[in-house]
Amino acid sequence: MTEPLLAVRDLQKYYFEQDSFVDSLLGRDPTSVKAVDGISFAVERGETLGLVGESGCGKSTTGETLLRLREATGGAVTFDGTNVFEMDDDELKAFRRDAQIVFQDPFSSLDPRMTVGDIVAEPLKIHGIPETTDGESKREWRRDKVADLLERVGLSANHLDRYPHEFSGGQRQRVGIARALALEPDFIVLDEPVSALDVSVQAQVLNLLDDLQAEFGLTYLFIAHDLSVVRHICDRVAVMYLGNVVELGPTDELFESPKHPYTKALLESVPRPSTAEHGRRVEALSGDVPSPRNPPSGCRFRTRCPQVIPPDDLDIEQATYRAVMDLRDALAVGDVNPDHIWDAADPDRTDTEAFIKEARDRHVDAELRGEVAGVIDTALGHLAEGETDRASETLRERFESPCETHRPAVGDASHPAACHLYEGSDEVTVIETNAGATAEADD
Amino acid sequence: MADTILSVRDLSTRFFTEEGQGNAVESVSFDVEDGEIFGIVGESGSGKSVTALSVIDLIESPGRVTQGEIWYRNADLAEEFRGSKPEAVDGDLVDIRRLPKGVRRSLRGPSFSMVFQDPMSSFNPSITVGEQIAEAVEVQRRARSNPRSTRSRTQGYGLGSLLVDSLLPSKSYVDDESMDRAVELLDQVGIPDPEDRADEYPHQFSGGMLQRAMIAQALAGEPDILIADEPTTALDVTIQAQILNLLRDLQEQEGMSILMITHDLGVIARMCDRVGVMYAGEVVERGPLADIFENPVHPYTQGLLGSIPDVDDPSGRLEPISGNVPSLLDSEMPDACYFADRCPKAMTDCLTRIPEYELDGRHSVRCVLAEQEYDPADAVESAEAADAKDREVSADD
Repeated sequence: MTEPLLAVRDLQKYYFEQDSFVDSLLGRDPTSVKAVDGISFAVERGETLGLVGESGCGKSTTGETLLRLREATGGAVTFDGTNVFEMDDDELKAFRRDAQIVFQDPFSSLDPRMTVGDIVAEPLKIHGIPETTDGESKREWRRDKVADLLERVGLSANHLDRYPHEFSGGQRQRVGIARALALEPDFIVLDEPVSALDVSVQAQVLNLLDDLQAEFGLTYLFIAHDLSVVRHICDRVAVMYLGNVVELGPTDELFESPKHPYTKALLESVPRPSTAEHGRRVEALSGDVPSPRNPPSGCRFRTRCPQVIPPDDLDIEQATYRAVMDLRDALAVGDVNPDHIWDAADPDRTDTEAFIKEARDRHVDAELRGEVAGVIDTALGHLAEGETDRASETLRERFESPCETHRPAVGDASHPAACHLYEGSDEVTVIETNAGATAEADD
Repeated sequence: MADTILSVRDLSTRFFTEEGQGNAVESVSFDVEDGEIFGIVGESGSGKSVTALSVIDLIESPGRVTQGEIWYRNADLAEEFRGSKPEAVDGDLVDIRRLPKGVRRSLRGPSFSMVFQDPMSSFNPSITVGEQIAEAVEVQRRARSNPRSTRSRTQGYGLGSLLVDSLLPSKSYVDDESMDRAVELLDQVGIPDPEDRADEYPHQFSGGMLQRAMIAQALAGEPDILIADEPTTALDVTIQAQILNLLRDLQEQEGMSILMITHDLGVIARMCDRVGVMYAGEVVERGPLADIFENPVHPYTQGLLGSIPDVDDPSGRLEPISGNVPSLLDSEMPDACYFADRCPKAMTDCLTRIPEYELDGRHSVRCVLAEQEYDPADAVESAEAADAKDREVSADD
């Protein structure tokens, strides 16, 4: 196999809060927001790799960090055999010619005071192109080149002297694409290039990107949140969740037989434009994406996962176990308030039985039996006495899942999934974390 | 056939701006039946949101509803105005555009209420979520106990109240009973620990939670018709699934009708019983979901469906509609079918204004293809040719 054009190894990008000089004087510890937390993938020459995930999962940060538009916290990115983060000025300038980016918002990514011609010519000017011309001036040469580019992306050479505000969103996005093509790059990061566009225009731009790739042999990293678009344009797809890659594989395989529970839920959630869709009830994932300030320990997805793994020695149905884990999460983030439960159950605060019953009604969405019911009731008993930490600890001791003590990462298979369900195969590599530490604290 | 709860006839809304008159909504007609979800789908600028705002009477200057009738079925209201305004009453139906302004305003809440697109900017950031919902409850409660005098919240708000409010800020308007109801509503829309969340501010909520809170607010008046304007556009797909499930559950529990505005044909397919497709301010095609998705007649509907990549079937090239969304300025709108210059099947007959053709009583379309086959011999120049001509023209100027 040939060497990939771009290889990302354990890329990390953390943002720090409370990191100023004043904060250090006041003795505040910097807190990190782990936008991208150790991801690895490779982009082969001529392919389109899709990077898909919900907002806040770190996909745009990944795109910008691997182009060195943001300083990475850790990891390495190799482009054409050279480490991007160790390039000196000359190498970096060459890299900037070879790797370009198209931004999401065509309204804010074009300078409103420059004509379209100047916008597209600017990269040429910066890189001193052309070096020599025969006869005509460099300015004229560039003007001809820009006219060519505009026509190539479906605009007209007459648009050269117009300003961005004279164009519609779709046309502006074409200008952004023409600018990215000006230096004849090998690699383009497309950061949500069609999400600001209406469907009819979106389809035009997608077709254009397809044509350009075939014509110039481009390699794309296509960042998107729309799974239908990703399926249409990408050769391989990486699914991200909360700063991690959870699944990576060839597009058709990934869409037809998704492995990771998150990918499955994502595909299930997409509304399909067909009559068969009518009235389809999606088993929606519960809850929200946790904050990257304080991500869950172990598997990042475990707080919402419908297939979270119970301890070996516990015989429990999945729905019940999910309900128990939801109770634990609710306790951890402070969503359970014993005062309200007391108010509803017994305002005199004497009848613990009534408290437990009310708490189960409110916070445990499943039938409980046998041992499980016993442990839950003991924990809720602690809660009734106001000992929230002890309640959490009681539940953790009996219900701790391997998903929270060990962190899965994508393995070396061709279609790996970072999930404990595939433990033992080369689809997943499991990283030990400090077992038992409750990473979730009340923020 | 179910009864019609809302019937919009020939509604037009214009914006009188410095650049000229903008025809945002142009002779729009549709019906919403009792207990159904009616969808309006279109691209940005097609007039779908303005249609919703026109129905709920929230169009602000420089915009104005210039013509049309909005018939709303309400026996009490019909009885009340049968004597004084016979022209506005037809059986149990009332034309709310002909009712006095105060009465129209009093319908917001118990008859129509609205869920907006962006929950983050729709809440007041400096008042707790619970209080904002309780305020909606309070307004409805006061209006019910005294329907004539409290049609405006500010009526009877004198210097004394102002003084009290500035000395004892917040909660002065909302009493405990309304607050309890607000907590109940938050619980109904699936917000965990609603007692505590009610005392939090909008920035402490996630986008999905805030959208739930806005739905709770809209439910405060127990509306007959809930207008949902792009309720899930700002949300991620897994959260969107939660909100769509919630809307469907609420619709079944409360038996209300929903007018669903969206650009996403997938959301339409999942939620709606009947659909209207809007383009350039007009409803170009409307009918039951299956007719629109499986037998679309209007080339725009076909183009829209052909533009969407299919998540289950990646094969094949997309077939987009060429050209761009047209200008809605009156001076620039042609005296022809508005879609003709982008239409792959435009004929000479398309160069006049096209009426709405009924296909089979439930399916109607604003296109000549309803009555005649496409005849290439009769074709007017294609959009590409027109584009090329445009370029030549712009080269000249």
